[in-house]
Formats: sequence, structure tokens, C-alpha cells
Amino acid sequence: MFFRMVRGTFRRQWKKMLMIAVTVALGASIATAMLNVMLGVGDKINAELKAYGSNITVVPQSEAVISKLYEVDDEVRPDYLKEERLNELLTIFWANNITDFAPVTETSVKLDNDDVKLVGSWFDHHLEFVKKGTTYQRDTGIINLRSWWDLKNGEWLDEQAISSGDCCMVGSELAKAKNISAGDEITVKNENNAVTLKVTGIYEAGDDEDNYIYTTLSTVQKLTNTDGLFQKAEVSAITSPDDELAVKAAKNPSLLTGDEYDLWYCTAYVSSICFQIQEAIPEASATAVLKIADSEGKILEKTELLMSLITLMSLIGATLGISNLVTSGVMERSQELALLKAVGAKNGQVTGLVLTETIMTAILGTVGGYFLGYAFAQVIGHTVFSSSIDMNGMVAFIVSVLIVAVTLVGSIPAIRIVLRLRPSEVLHGGH
Amino acid sequence: MNKKRMMFIRMIAASLVRRRSRMIIALLSIVVGGTILSGLGMIYYDVPRQMSSQFRSYGANIIITPSKDSFIEDDDLLSGLSFFPQEELEGYTPYRYENTSVHNMPVTLAGIDFDSVQKTSPYWRINGGRPTSDGEALVGAKVAERLGISAGDDISAVNSFEVTDDMDISKIPDYEMYTSPDTGEQFCDHELSLKVTGILQTGGSEEEYIYVSLSDVADLALTDRGYDIVEVSVAATQDRLSSYIETINSNVFNISAKLVKRVTASESTVLTKLQSLVFIVTAVVLVLTMICVATTMTAVIAERRREIGLRKALGAYNSSIVGQFLTEGLVLGAIGGILGSILGYVFAQIVSQNVFGSSIMFRPVLIPITIAASVLVTGIACLIPIKSAVEVDPALVLKGE
Repeated sequence: MFFRMVRGTFRRQWKKMLMIAVTVALGASIATAMLNVMLGVGDKINAELKAYGSNITVVPQSEAVISKLYEVDDEVRPDYLKEERLNELLTIFWANNITDFAPVTETSVKLDNDDVKLVGSWFDHHLEFVKKGTTYQRDTGIINLRSWWDLKNGEWLDEQAISSGDCCMVGSELAKAKNISAGDEITVKNENNAVTLKVTGIYEAGDDEDNYIYTTLSTVQKLTNTDGLFQKAEVSAITSPDDELAVKAAKNPSLLTGDEYDLWYCTAYVSSICFQIQEAIPEASATAVLKIADSEGKILEKTELLMSLITLMSLIGATLGISNLVTSGVMERSQELALLKAVGAKNGQVTGLVLTETIMTAILGTVGGYFLGYAFAQVIGHTVFSSSIDMNGMVAFIVSVLIVAVTLVGSIPAIRIVLRLRPSEVLHGGH
Repeated sequence: MNKKRMMFIRMIAASLVRRRSRMIIALLSIVVGGTILSGLGMIYYDVPRQMSSQFRSYGANIIITPSKDSFIEDDDLLSGLSFFPQEELEGYTPYRYENTSVHNMPVTLAGIDFDSVQKTSPYWRINGGRPTSDGEALVGAKVAERLGISAGDDISAVNSFEVTDDMDISKIPDYEMYTSPDTGEQFCDHELSLKVTGILQTGGSEEEYIYVSLSDVADLALTDRGYDIVEVSVAATQDRLSSYIETINSNVFNISAKLVKRVTASESTVLTKLQSLVFIVTAVVLVLTMICVATTMTAVIAERRREIGLRKALGAYNSSIVGQFLTEGLVLGAIGGILGSILGYVFAQIVSQNVFGSSIMFRPVLIPITIAASVLVTGIACLIPIKSAVEVDPALVLKGE
């Protein structure tokens, strides 16, 4: 009988129930979309902040430390690291957070008898190697670490397309002073060697690098007789903002307790990534570029806080909207409910009927709303960041709990009205 | 006519008062919609301004250099800086560099003002203390490592120069004379003792200098000259910065201002993303909220079919019924819009205080927008159920079907 009545309500009052379901669905979709965006925004903004360039530099340990720890091989120059050792960056715990890295060697050369700084690096280097049965591969290079560079003329140096000869890119101020343009050939030399470089393009960096020449690492290695070596590496990694634990660890990781150490090691703090790089390449020292790392932390923190407050606000809005409609939906049916009471239904039974109907409607609405919210989150993700937003399983749980709670709370005033109903008054129309 | 109007107003007032609980529900949903509209709107407009000052933690975004091979003088600097609006200028730090030797090793000394450098380089991490008076120095980590200096040490920076005939070296306070054994030229060593208060860590090239006050550098170099470079931190968008720079460069001839592209270009990338994020979120939330408001209003009106039937039975015209219900809806919409815009401001203020620690800029234009949107949405939401209600046969409605 109970279920027949519930079915009856849905059949006869489907319009009203549909409206409640639609409102619940809208509320649920706001909640789903906002919660997903809020949980995903950190990663997205962090990836955008990579535009500022590398936040970690890797340099050789100072000479003194090395000679104490190792017997220095005479052939290895203490102020250089081996290029092949950079492979290790892809094997550390947080390797997936390392977005780009490139080795850099700077040297001074003569161009028409003027001293010019020549920088060798990877441009679009393809890295592929096998370690312990796993194949690692990555395309990485300096271009991604200099997102603020503008190409003035010519094109970016394409390392993999160079068939013969050496190529380079020239900074805009140097190009202006020396009247160099794309396609020209320039000859640079130092005390021992000379090399002719084909200029593929002119870049504008807006800082000192406008007076530099950038070329491939192998060209500089040839020029300076440092085959397979580099001076320092720039690494760009997605990191978590520093908190108390990270500050404590940055001073000295060995002072942490076991649990703290595990937590620190398994969180993508800039200090723990540096630590892991040093573990993988013991002859190197990795330091955070504070200017970048600190600012990233601050901006991330603010954005996440901003988004969570906006989310909170929209959740409040959504819940109020739902509970409003539930309340007015029940009020409207006072006549029907009074009739039920008049023919002998107990308060508990009427309440049970109202709640069952409302909650069933709410569940239908929530399911619909969850998928609608998923779509909204993806629209936001693609419009703003051109990438999809990961759906967090927790969100489905939070949203269902929230909606059920809101529906129940929204029903409270309605139930109080049901309990107060006097069948004769309502049915007579004296309301 | 007058009587009719009085009656109209009385009917509306009575309906709003008698049906209190329903009206409060409807009003509440309109207020929530209005709050979201004005609150998120205000946040959307203010995000670039508020975030811009957060982005200043990346350090200076404009550098000023002398335009000729000379130095930046105070007069030129101040007239250049006067082109930045005062509220956007976060800070500026002049640098003066001098080459000296410490522990017989060549080191570059940078003279700065330690208070203003906190504004332009907020990312500096100092192990030890920040120098507070003359005679104190902050040593870059790389220099400290190379020379074995630690916080608390006393060091002395030495300025050696060739003595020429027209110099009156007796005026120099601490000096030591010696003659080069090879050439016979006379040299003078002028010494400045410094107390190291802290070691500077940045992970960048700043670690290769020793920082002292500007007057200490002048003492050591024995000359009073202008600055080599001035770092300026301005909280403004890239376009505005470019226009300031243009004005400065065309008005003050002795200095040349430049954008630090690395900072400004990256900032505008991130800031654009951030603002479009808030925009899209606002739009989505707003559309959904407005639909919520509309469904609530529809539900509230729909339950009054009996009343509409009764009116029709008593001889009311369809148009007067529509007019009355619409007015009710519009009054509710207006009240809700006003309350919503006030609450929205309060909400935006709370968000701004919590996130950025500064108050939000009030946008008066959002009040009429909020009220208009609330009235419009409630109006449309009322119209649909009324339309279908007035077309109903009164007898059917009154009979209870």
C-alpha cells in the first residue's frame, strides 16, 4: 500500500517531483563542479606557474667536499658534471613532477674580437635509456624553461633536425649590435678552437641573455674540450607549497622523526625533490631557486584559498535553493496530506511517506546532477586550462551526503507543518 | 481610479504578509542568487588587482639603468618614479656596486637600503639577522662559502687605488700606503670594517655579493655618486607597465626603464588564466543559481492556482491577475536584489580579508546590475506559471482538480 501511494504520487504529481529533482540536480551539479575544480586547481595553476622557469638548479658539489668523499678522477673536472648522469632525474620518486630540465654550460668566446657569452644547452633533446629493465624516455630542453622568450626572426633551433654543422640562436641586442639576422653564419673562437655557427633565429629575452649566443651543448663541449660534461642543470618541477615541516626539513632532514621524514620525503616539497636529486646524483648539489619556489607557494596558497571560499559560497547557495524548494513542495501538498490524516493515517506514516518521496526524488536528482557537474567541471577545465579536470572519487561521496542532509533539513519545516495540520480545517478550505 | 490603485496595493501587501512563509522562501532564494551575483562579481573584478600584489613576491618587474655611461642620480630617479601611481608602487631599491677585496679575494660589494629591499626581493632568506645600521653586512651564501665567512664574523673590505699627485689622501680616515716594487707607483689601501649579521640564501646570483648600506659603500669608495641600477616593483598589468615605461623614457632622459620580461610575461600568462577561471566559475554558478531561483518562484506561484480560479470566478480580467502577480514578483525581486547586493559585498569583503588580507574595492555598478538581474529573473519565473494558470477554467480549479 505504502509503495502504491509513493508510486501514485510520482505518477500524478510528476511535474512537481520533476521540479524538485531538477533543482536538486542543479544544486548537485554546482557542488560537483566546484568541488572538483577546487581540488584540481592547485595542479593546474602550478603547471601555469612553470612559465617562470626552473625552480631548482643542480651544480657540482664544491671541490672540497668531493675530494674528501671520493678519490677524484683526474680526468673529471671538478666544476663539471657528466651529461649522462642527468638520466637519473627520471628515476627519482617525484620524476613525474619534473616537467623539464636542461644542462647548461657557459663559456666566453670571441666574436669579431669582442667577448661574448656562449651558452650551450639542450633545445629539444630526446632522452631514452633503459635502467633495471624499465625504458625511460623524455623530450626536454631549454626552450620550455624560457617561456618568456620571443622569437624576433627566423625559427627556434631544432636540435633533432640538425643534419650537419652547428647552429645557434642569438640574443636580440647582440644581433642588433653586430647586425646579425637569421640565416647568417658567424664564427666564434676561444684560445684553442674555432667553430662556425649557422644562426637559426633571433630571440628577445628582456634581460642580460639578450647579449648571449645560445647553441647546442655538444657544440660548446667541442669548443671547450668538455665532451660529455656540463656546468649546471636547470630543473623545473611541480612542487607543493612549503609548510612548517618543509621549513624544518630544509634546515636538516636528519633532524626529522621517522614519520615526519616519510611524510616529507613523499610530499613534493621543493626541498624533498632537491634531496632526492642529490641522492640520485651524489656528486651534485641541488638547490631551490627561492625567488621562484617561494612565490609559487604563495600564489598557489592564495588561489586555493580563494577557490575554496567561492566553493563554500556556491555550496551554501545550492543547499539553500534545494531546501527551499523541498519545503515549498511539501507545503503545497498540505491538502492531500490532511486527507490522509483524515482517513486515519498516523503522523509517523505521513512523515514517512513525505520523506520517502522526497529522498527518492533527491537521489534521482543527485545522480543526474553529478554527471551534469562533471560536464561543467570539464567545460571549466578546457576553457581555462585547455586540459581536463580529474574527477575525485571523494567528491561523489561528499555531494551525496550533502544532498541527503540538505533534503532532510529542508523537509523539517514541511514535516512540522504536516504534524500541525488539522484535517477538518484544511479540507474545509479555511487555510 | 485612485481607489482601484489603493485596492491593488492593498491586495499585494496583504498577499505578501498573509502568505509569509511562502514569501520568505521565495525571497530567500532571490537573496541567495543576488548575493552570489554581486559577491562573485566583485571578486572577479578585484582578483587581478589583489593577485597582482601577490605576484610581486617574484621581485622587481621593472629595472632602471642609466641611459648613458654614467650613474642614476636621485633627482632623475625621483622624477622617473613619480610617473607610477603611488598606490601601485610597491617599492624600489637602488643598487650601487663597488669592487673590493675581502680576505685578499676580489668580491663585489653592493650598497642597498635594507628596508626597501624587503619589498623588491621578498624571497630573500637570511640565516642570522638583517643589517640594521651602518657597518653591518649581509654576505651572499656563495661568497660566504668561498671565503669561509659565517654570521657574527668581523670582516674588512679593502679598496686599493693608485695615488695620483692631485689626491689629498690625508683626508682619508683609515688608510695604508705602499709602493709597488715593480713600477714604483704609490698605492693606498682604504679599509672598511664590517660586522656580518647574516648569510643570504636565494639560490640565484644574489648569493655572489656582499650587501652593505649605501653610505658604507660611499665611505669605502671615497666618492659620492649615483646608483648603477634601481629595481622597482609595481603592482600593475604588463600593458600598464609598458605605458609607464614609455612615459618615463620619453620624459626623463638620464635614465632608461626596462621591463623584466621574465617576470611580467609570465605574470600576465598566469593572471589571465586565473581571472578567466574566476569568470567561468562565476558564470556557471550564476546560471545554475538563477535557474534555482526560477524554479522556486515557479513552485510558489503554481500553488496559487485556486486563488487565481477564485479571482476569475469573481470576474477579474486575466490582465489584472497577471498584473498583480507580476507586481508581487517584481517587489520580491527588488527586495531580494537589494538585500543580495549588500550581502554579496559582505561576502566579497570576507573572502578578500581572508585570502589577501586587504579590503575589496566596492563596485557601485554591481548594485543596479544585481537588482535588475533579480527583478528580471523573478519576473520571467513568475510569468510562466501565471500564464498557464489564468488560462484554466475557474470552475475546474475551484472544484479541486
